[in-house]
Amino acid sequence: MGLTGLEIYKKLPQTNCGECGPPTCLAFAMQLAEGKAELSECPDVSDEAKEALAAASKPPIATITIGSGEFEREIGGETELFRHDKTFFNEPGIALTVSDEEDVEAKIEKINALSFERVGQEIEVDMVAVVNDSGDADAFAEAVETVANNSERTLILVSEDAAAMEAALDIAADENPLVYGATSDNWEDLLALAEENDCPLGVKGEDLDNLAELTEQITGEGYENLVIDGGARETAEVVAQQTMIRRLALKKKFRPVGFPTITFTTKEDSQEEAMQASNYIAKYAGIVVLSNVLELAEMMPLLTVRQNIYTDPRVPVTVEPNKVYEIGEPDENSPVFITTNFSLSYYSVEGEVPEDGYIIPVDTDGTSVLTAFSADKFGGAKIAEVMVEETDIEDKVSHRKVIIPGHVAVLSGKLEEESGWDVLVGPREASGIAAFISQRWEEELNS
Amino acid sequence: MIIIGERINGMFNDIAEAIKNQDPTAIQEWAVKQLEAGSHYLDANVGPAVEDSPEVMKWLVEVIQDEVDAPVCLDTTDVEAMEAGLEVHEGTAMINSTTAEQEKLDAILPLVKEYDAEIIGLAMDKSGVPKDAATRTEKSMQIIANADAHGIPMENVFIDPLILPVNVAQPHAPEVLATIQQVKKLADPAPKTVLGLSNVSQNCNNMKLINRTFMAMAMAVGLDAGIIEANDEDLIDTIATAEIILNNDVYCDSFLEQYRK
Repeated sequence: MGLTGLEIYKKLPQTNCGECGPPTCLAFAMQLAEGKAELSECPDVSDEAKEALAAASKPPIATITIGSGEFEREIGGETELFRHDKTFFNEPGIALTVSDEEDVEAKIEKINALSFERVGQEIEVDMVAVVNDSGDADAFAEAVETVANNSERTLILVSEDAAAMEAALDIAADENPLVYGATSDNWEDLLALAEENDCPLGVKGEDLDNLAELTEQITGEGYENLVIDGGARETAEVVAQQTMIRRLALKKKFRPVGFPTITFTTKEDSQEEAMQASNYIAKYAGIVVLSNVLELAEMMPLLTVRQNIYTDPRVPVTVEPNKVYEIGEPDENSPVFITTNFSLSYYSVEGEVPEDGYIIPVDTDGTSVLTAFSADKFGGAKIAEVMVEETDIEDKVSHRKVIIPGHVAVLSGKLEEESGWDVLVGPREASGIAAFISQRWEEELNS
Repeated sequence: MIIIGERINGMFNDIAEAIKNQDPTAIQEWAVKQLEAGSHYLDANVGPAVEDSPEVMKWLVEVIQDEVDAPVCLDTTDVEAMEAGLEVHEGTAMINSTTAEQEKLDAILPLVKEYDAEIIGLAMDKSGVPKDAATRTEKSMQIIANADAHGIPMENVFIDPLILPVNVAQPHAPEVLATIQQVKKLADPAPKTVLGLSNVSQNCNNMKLINRTFMAMAMAVGLDAGIIEANDEDLIDTIATAEIILNNDVYCDSFLEQYRK
């Protein structure tokens, strides 16, 4: 993403001396924008102009690596305001807080249990924020040590006290924790600690102005491994701040907020807290820190929201293909339906199967029945191969009758030939399945 | 697409007559007709054969806005006429136009700022219409830099890369298309672009076919606005269709009707 001619022009000295070659600064700016000239050809170029040009070649939001090992993740690196414009790239980290005044081990055990499997992916809470509520450096270090010993999850060290942070980093610096947070009062000390241990530094502003001021001071010292916090804690304010940060970074290339963000929930009630966190996931947070959602039943929808928001909308959503899905409690007389693994196609069929049955979604790279058919991904031979070789449908039913979508009736001959099954041409639309089964299935089964 | 209806222009006999007789009927009829066809602005040009153009421009703006609630595009090279029009205009007016000549910019841009108006900048100067896209873009940049220096937001600047009739100036059309593309990259947010569309087909055969074909091509490279024959149904259909193909409007089967709503 380059700078525009106008942006460059405003940073040029406006001398129109012509020493760069073109007669005016304006013409020179246009050549720079088109990549036809070098800034060094200008004799009076300012440091500000040099910086602006260098900044233009950087991505608008930095990618920050946090944690190590299994739970290491990248946050930031985003380029969109809306996921449908391209995609959101890096899922935010979900953290739970552990106070250095509570039973750390017991809480870690609960956090470690917050994990489940969804569409073949292991999903879990991946960060723990250790909070220095005691104000005591030793107690903080001890809590950090207990967390580190009992969990592999990425650490967020929450203390504004440099001595406490130093003690905690002595224990956990190798795990690349987030050092949180640098404020107007302590930033020099915390920056020194983050730099020394090469850890990401959380920067906490009182508001956006203060935040931008702070990050400029810190990046001025050459440190850019930052995660930022605009300081808001009420849902509406956080969403407004998150939106401003994302817009300024992407649309105005405003470097001081070109970093992933960290947000904190405030609701005591765990369900309200989960809803608050869902807002932050949808609205650009790089890390969401919660305190009270410790039940899997409440955490699961939140982690599901994260997974869904960060799926790539350019890639069709699919179901796991080439296996038998059982609907209801099917037996050896239940009908067998063929469809594709495009999730819209699959679920349309699933929702219409009136009683018990089997569905086999054939792998068509997530394309619909007609799309797959016209792209040669849904032919009789292929369906036969999936049925016979990749599934155990022959063991599950005693009949040999398979129902195909009505739109692809033409492939029934080939499918019969290759599979040895009788092919019944079903309705064109899944909405006709119920009628089809009630009118035809018993008769076909006995024929 | 921002549609600026071209019809209220003293070059047309009925408008010239109306101005001469100070009879607003024809003007107001065209104002209504063009708005019904989907115009967002109404171009107002007193025409060449007028003595006191500030007075006439003032009268034109008043009779248009007496009849309809729409902004006027003040189409004049006379700075006094422009200011007279601005004084009586209600809402955000569009000024048509300035060139990249420094004296013109210095005279007109303060007015644009003062009246919080929009401005059409022609990508040319004293030496005439440039041949190539590079020079057109350079002239555009001069207008943009000056507008920015006057604190005029880029969204209010419309660059006109100047299309010429395709029968006598055929090589210009591709240069105009290239200019539109380049102008959109000069600033962020980008300035808008506008064309006096009907110019492309002057004295040609199949004028309307040429107009709408060029419109679709220009929209593909980023055209934002057109001073056009708003009552040309086929042209509006072309615009509606191009909006769909460019993913600016969400498709539906009745997109031609929806576009007109």
